[in-house]
Amino acid sequence: MGHRTNDLRTSVTQLYNNPSLLPLTKKQKKLVTRNPGSIMAIAKGAKMAIDECKYQFKNRRWNCPTYVDGHGGSIFGKILNTGCRETAFIYAATSAAVSHSIARACSEGSIHTCSCDFEHNKVPVGKDWEWSGCSDNARYGHKFSRRFVDVLEKGRDFRYMMNLHNNEAGRVHVSSGMKQECKCHGMSGSCTIKTCWMRLPPFRNIGHILKDRFDGASKVLPGNTGRAVKRKRRRFNFSPVNPNHKRPGRRDLVYFEHSPTFCEKENMIGFEGTAGRECNSTSLGVNGCDLMCCGRGYKSETFPVKERCHCTFHWCCQVKCQVCTRLKVRNTCL
Amino acid sequence: MGGVVLETLSNRKLSILAVSLLLLLFVFFLIGGLVAPAPSSVMNMLTTKCYDKHVYAHEKKWYIPRGLHACDQIDDLSNPVVNDKRIEASMVVFSLWLPYPRENKQLNMSRWFQNMLTVIQMDIEHHDNNPLSKYTNATMRMEVRLGYRNQQDNESDWKELISTHEDRPLRCDTDRVKDDYYRCELLSFFELGSVHYDYYLINIRLPVYQSKDVNLGLGTIKDIHIITIFQNGGFTKVWFSLKTTMFPVIIAVLVWFWRRVKLLSRQPNLLERTLLTLGIVLSIMNCPLEWFTLWFNLPWMSILSDIRQGAFYATLLSFWMIFAGEHIMVVPKNNLRSYWKHLTSVVFGCVCMFVFEMCEKGMQLANPFYTIWVSETGTQLALAFIILAGIAACTYFLFLSYMIYRVFKNISAKKTALPQMSNLRKNFYLGLIFRFKFLMVLTLLCAALTVIFFIISQVSEGQWKWGDDGISLEYSSAFLTGSVYGMWNVYVIGLLSLYAPSHKQYTQTNDTSDGSQEEEVQLTQIPTETSAMTSFISKEAQE
Repeated sequence: MGHRTNDLRTSVTQLYNNPSLLPLTKKQKKLVTRNPGSIMAIAKGAKMAIDECKYQFKNRRWNCPTYVDGHGGSIFGKILNTGCRETAFIYAATSAAVSHSIARACSEGSIHTCSCDFEHNKVPVGKDWEWSGCSDNARYGHKFSRRFVDVLEKGRDFRYMMNLHNNEAGRVHVSSGMKQECKCHGMSGSCTIKTCWMRLPPFRNIGHILKDRFDGASKVLPGNTGRAVKRKRRRFNFSPVNPNHKRPGRRDLVYFEHSPTFCEKENMIGFEGTAGRECNSTSLGVNGCDLMCCGRGYKSETFPVKERCHCTFHWCCQVKCQVCTRLKVRNTCL
Repeated sequence: MGGVVLETLSNRKLSILAVSLLLLLFVFFLIGGLVAPAPSSVMNMLTTKCYDKHVYAHEKKWYIPRGLHACDQIDDLSNPVVNDKRIEASMVVFSLWLPYPRENKQLNMSRWFQNMLTVIQMDIEHHDNNPLSKYTNATMRMEVRLGYRNQQDNESDWKELISTHEDRPLRCDTDRVKDDYYRCELLSFFELGSVHYDYYLINIRLPVYQSKDVNLGLGTIKDIHIITIFQNGGFTKVWFSLKTTMFPVIIAVLVWFWRRVKLLSRQPNLLERTLLTLGIVLSIMNCPLEWFTLWFNLPWMSILSDIRQGAFYATLLSFWMIFAGEHIMVVPKNNLRSYWKHLTSVVFGCVCMFVFEMCEKGMQLANPFYTIWVSETGTQLALAFIILAGIAACTYFLFLSYMIYRVFKNISAKKTALPQMSNLRKNFYLGLIFRFKFLMVLTLLCAALTVIFFIISQVSEGQWKWGDDGISLEYSSAFLTGSVYGMWNVYVIGLLSLYAPSHKQYTQTNDTSDGSQEEEVQLTQIPTETSAMTSFISKEAQE
């Protein structure tokens, strides 16, 4: 790739160098070689998706575990081969992250092949950069993510449709989460000329939205509606299990299998169970010890920790701190 | 006042003229809507975070985000490696190379872009233990270097345009704990009056000086986005073409008009002189001086354009005032001095706007990063000038409305008196009333059109099109070419041709159909008419 190696990027280069973390199909490899610089963005996107998944699920029984050794061919483990809610979230989050990260890389100038289609429907005869500028980066990110993420889905079964739908839902949230900002710059700064652009939301915002969609995901009937009517690629006609529910839209996540309780070790998806997980003894929510430990009880231990305290912060990097020792209580599930 | 073309023209000729002018106007709108692209484009770019452990040693070093001489980069400032390597705030350089690469080649800025302005959007992460100091009014001090390079230059051969340090207040808020980033107002960065070079390079440092309380309490800065707005090359091309075509046309109409006036046996009256001035100022505005920017670096050209445009509007406003004043139908004053009160408001307003413009754009000639809005006193000063200009505008419109009210009052008074008048005098007044009402309707129409198109362009700009289809009209461009530029050109052409003195009294040729009627309407020598009118008015007053 001709990229500079730099140990500040270790996390990224690690991802790039370890094939089990980023296994590429032939088509993907072609896409990546044709777009130099994109591999870095994809790696960053993958890291972003993992971090976001872990952040959003840190208080739940399923806490988005990842497996460095390529458990079942994927970093997220075998849960990807099922059709439950969690699968839907992972698919949506990864495709959203790729889309987001490619768009970001385009705006940084680190991918040289981002497209410049300003009026993508008009035939651009003589309409080039000098004539009318370039389009927003997010459109390219969206397209790239489609071409990169969706090729992984093979076959024509129901899971294929579900995954494609969830991929698209993730990307749509990136596009629709963009906020418009405008600037007036007419004569003497008046608003006779106003120019607007779209601002890419922080990925955390997209994570929050996807988590909300995860909570409200619709369970759909596998194959019941026959071969779901396919108007366009990636637009499927799902019918919800509960006939009183609305049909899932473009932005909704869909699934067709019930999630396991995630209490005990699940060999099917390679989940370790909640034994040994930290829990909150005072919370009544999912992170509370009652729910987290599935009624098995928990053990409490008190131990001293060394912490940074009385810190003075700058806008970056340099933090001056003292080290304090404090007693901490930790509850872990049995 | 003698008869003008408007009154003597046959209905057929008048409608031909009107239709052709309307067509011309329509063409202006179509060119803007269909041929021209949007007036400006935007590049939303993310700065690359470079770092240099010896940043002070190489004060004059350029940090280039990509290419052969790319700097050492940090992806994420919150990465623990940053602390391990003992990188400090002063070692980080945010760098940006304008424009970005697209479709496998490095794009370059074009001289057709004419001007460019940039704004900064800060990504500041919200941390409870490192908040943005809200109460001390966090000010960010940037040490900025702006460089340029041309395509054929060596890749590391960046030349300095300016190197300065700028303070920008951060106005941010966070509305809920869940939000990871502060919502910050956009910061104005720099504005260039000419885009003369191919590439621009921006290097920003935010050094922390603990003792001087500089750059403390900025929160946790994650990224700096720089948004660049520039005029589209296609729009410039269309605009230049319009100007280049309209310039000789206006000159021709102006020459024709002035020859008509010169043919009269009397001295040109005030209204004719005002019309001439209006035409001249319009030609000055139309003069396509901007072509020179393609060969020379002329950053003051945009100020000059603004001034020329302002001068035109000032003349137009003065013309309206004088036109209404001369149609009050008491004695026409026929000299500029009697309008000094009314014109003072125009001049005062324009001077205010000029001072404001010079404070902002004029200062930017010396320092492109300068903006009057960042300092407290500057903001107050700028607001003061704008408010003064607003007051002047209000005074002007009050004067104008009062004058128009008086004209209408006189018109209704005259209308009741019309049947008792002699034919000659009756036609004189009918002519005056017609001329006035015609201009009134025309002007209101133009104003309404401007307002409507302004609203349409604002609304259409506000709606972001995400993959829409069909023919898209560029409303903003149509507004600029049609309403701002085309309409006032057509308006002035119309005025010059319709309000030129009629020559029919000299030729005396009999037109076939309505000639006899036309000739009766002719009003010849001003002195006799004026005296007739004054006597009439004094008679009226006595009654």
